[in-house]
Amino acid sequence: MAKILIVDDDVDFVSAVKIVLTSNGFDVIVANSSQEGMAKFDELQPDLVLLDVMMDQPDDGFVMAQNLKKKSKTTPILMLTSIGQVAGMDFDKDSEMVPVDDFEQKPIMPNILLEKINKLLGK
Amino acid sequence: MQIIDRQKVNEQINGLKDKYGNDRSALLPILQDLQDIYGYLPNVVMQEVAHSLGIHPVEVEGVASFYSFFQTKEKQGKYVIRLCRTISCDLAGKANVARQLENELGIKFGETTKDGMFTLKYTNCLGMCDRGPAVLVNDRLFAKVDAEKASQIIADCRRDFLKSDFPKVVPSDVKKSGPILKHGLESGDALKAALKMSRSEIIAIIRESGLKGRGGAGFPTAIKWQLAGAAKGDNKYVICNADEGEPGTFKDRMLLYEHIDTVLDGMTIGAYTIGAKKGFIYLRAEYLYMKKYLEETLEKRRANNLLGDNILGKKGFSFDLQIRMGAGAYICGEETALIESLEGFRGEPRNRPPFPVDTGFQGNPTIINNVETFIDAALIVVKGAEWFNEHGTEKSKGMKIFSISGDCANPGIYELPFGITVAQLLKEVGGENAKAVQIGGASGHCIAQKDFHRTIAYEDIGSGGSIIVFGPDTDMLQVAKNFLEFFVEESCGQCTPCRDGNPKLLEGLEMLEEGRCSVTYLNELKKLGETIQIASKCGLGQSSPNAFLSIVDNFKSEILGRVPEAD
Ligand SMILES: Cc1cc2nc3c(=O)[nH]c(=O)nc-3n(C[C@H](O)[C@H](O)[C@H](O)COP(=O)(O)O)c2cc1C
Repeated sequence: MAKILIVDDDVDFVSAVKIVLTSNGFDVIVANSSQEGMAKFDELQPDLVLLDVMMDQPDDGFVMAQNLKKKSKTTPILMLTSIGQVAGMDFDKDSEMVPVDDFEQKPIMPNILLEKINKLLGK
Repeated sequence: MQIIDRQKVNEQINGLKDKYGNDRSALLPILQDLQDIYGYLPNVVMQEVAHSLGIHPVEVEGVASFYSFFQTKEKQGKYVIRLCRTISCDLAGKANVARQLENELGIKFGETTKDGMFTLKYTNCLGMCDRGPAVLVNDRLFAKVDAEKASQIIADCRRDFLKSDFPKVVPSDVKKSGPILKHGLESGDALKAALKMSRSEIIAIIRESGLKGRGGAGFPTAIKWQLAGAAKGDNKYVICNADEGEPGTFKDRMLLYEHIDTVLDGMTIGAYTIGAKKGFIYLRAEYLYMKKYLEETLEKRRANNLLGDNILGKKGFSFDLQIRMGAGAYICGEETALIESLEGFRGEPRNRPPFPVDTGFQGNPTIINNVETFIDAALIVVKGAEWFNEHGTEKSKGMKIFSISGDCANPGIYELPFGITVAQLLKEVGGENAKAVQIGGASGHCIAQKDFHRTIAYEDIGSGGSIIVFGPDTDMLQVAKNFLEFFVEESCGQCTPCRDGNPKLLEGLEMLEEGRCSVTYLNELKKLGETIQIASKCGLGQSSPNAFLSIVDNFKSEILGRVPEAD
């Protein structure tokens, strides 16, 4: 069973996503901040990270993605954010500044989320 | 009457468009150059500019009338004499200078002599607060002017400065340097170090240093650069905020003169980090005398491959920048108003979000930082995060450059650590007997003796570095009045609380002065002040009542009970 680490400070979003993922057979680990996320990443070695952008700081997700890629180039990161709606921000994958494998705007339909996750896991 | 030949105006405009560009962002520089030619902006000239840039003439007049350094309707004198009316210059004896200037010229402030030689105006802070009173004659700056010197200046003007004992630019007085000002780096050193690092490494080291913006708001620089670096866009911009309009601030003037290469290293490092190709230094109109020197420095850097294409041999890294002049509007130091101004509009702040990191100059991702912030960033890249954050407090790292003026023995520029108490600072500058200290300029707070144990740091009393010391004899009501007059004049007029609220507060102070204000009404005014703080659109309005409220709170017994003037 693939292990997925969700790093997001929005508890409602996390609980909704958790239901979707567990009912589809994934193991879910939750972290509500990037510090907690890094610790759980080291400890539990997830197969994929679902990462928010704005948490304690508005750029936490970007910084965490950079740090994750320093630890493991191969663990896929799917960035999920509403930064576009909140801050009007339009960003792109970029090997240095936003080193994620894919990203999606929140809110996201469960079937699309599952499709993306399966694709990144090579299923 | 001056007869203006439309065809000639058009030729001039075309020449200026070649220099500044064809789009609306060229509007301010074009108007500035035309005003130099005609001595003001005649209607014909504004109409032709409008026509040429494809905008409505009303728009051009709207812009020209917004900025205090543009003169529409009537011609100004050959010499425009601007006397600084900020409180520091007041404390230094501005009133005598004003009277003598009027006596010499036989006109009042706001008027022009019949022979068209002189226009007399008041202006807001000239950035010479430690050497006041300050006078600006066109782009010549005079410090420590007294009544006698005022008459000499007029005499020099009459001789067109053919013979003048005054230096053209007054150097700044650095009273205390520390690790920042004694950095010892040569031009390009910091940039070379940065280009050996990856973009994310640069952000990581700045993040670790804890650097927060030195312009006043204290936003973490690493976050700003990271967000702009992540933003999508092929035309990103780096802007240096050299508007230094906060009354009582003059450190950027010195930094631009004496550390310009470090500022430019910082801007170029910023460009490399976020992926920008172009930039601007937005220099306040009052500092026009500095423009030539700055442009020469840019030329030298181009010659040394520190600007231009493939900088220092780094393939694909190109960056260049221009100097754009402000036109005498304090609000244009606010970052979104600054962008509006660069784009050729009135300096009216935008709603945020979206923020400039994503939607900045002409809708492109843009970082805007203060002069000092760029210096700090450049130094951190070379000297490391620890070198920087060994000073300061937990939440306010590093050394800060302060501009200190008013009633103290040694006014000037000081490099001091964040976290210093007001009392320690006063001791440093010889202002121990102060009755109050204004921290953070007109938009800051007036601190009374009971609070001198408090610290200057973002978590306690934040500041962009302006400190004005008030001695025991200062009339605090006059201080509050001076600051409110400033805000009434500098409000952009866009939102109601600031535009209509501040004149009411000022009127209240006038009533207090005349012994006509009841405590009940004063309490109403305090509520109005609090409303202005929460209901205004931008930082100017939000901070405009600070001085009023802190002075009313701290010096209530002093400002109440004035004797009504006899009729
Ligand atoms: C009314 C107003 C005036 C301002 N004037 C200046 C200024 O003259 N210089 C400056 O650096 N920042 C000024 N600021 C702050 C800028 O909006 C902005 O926060 C700053 O340029 C960001 O740079 P920093 O993060 O390096 O401080 C002003 C803000 C307001 C609300």
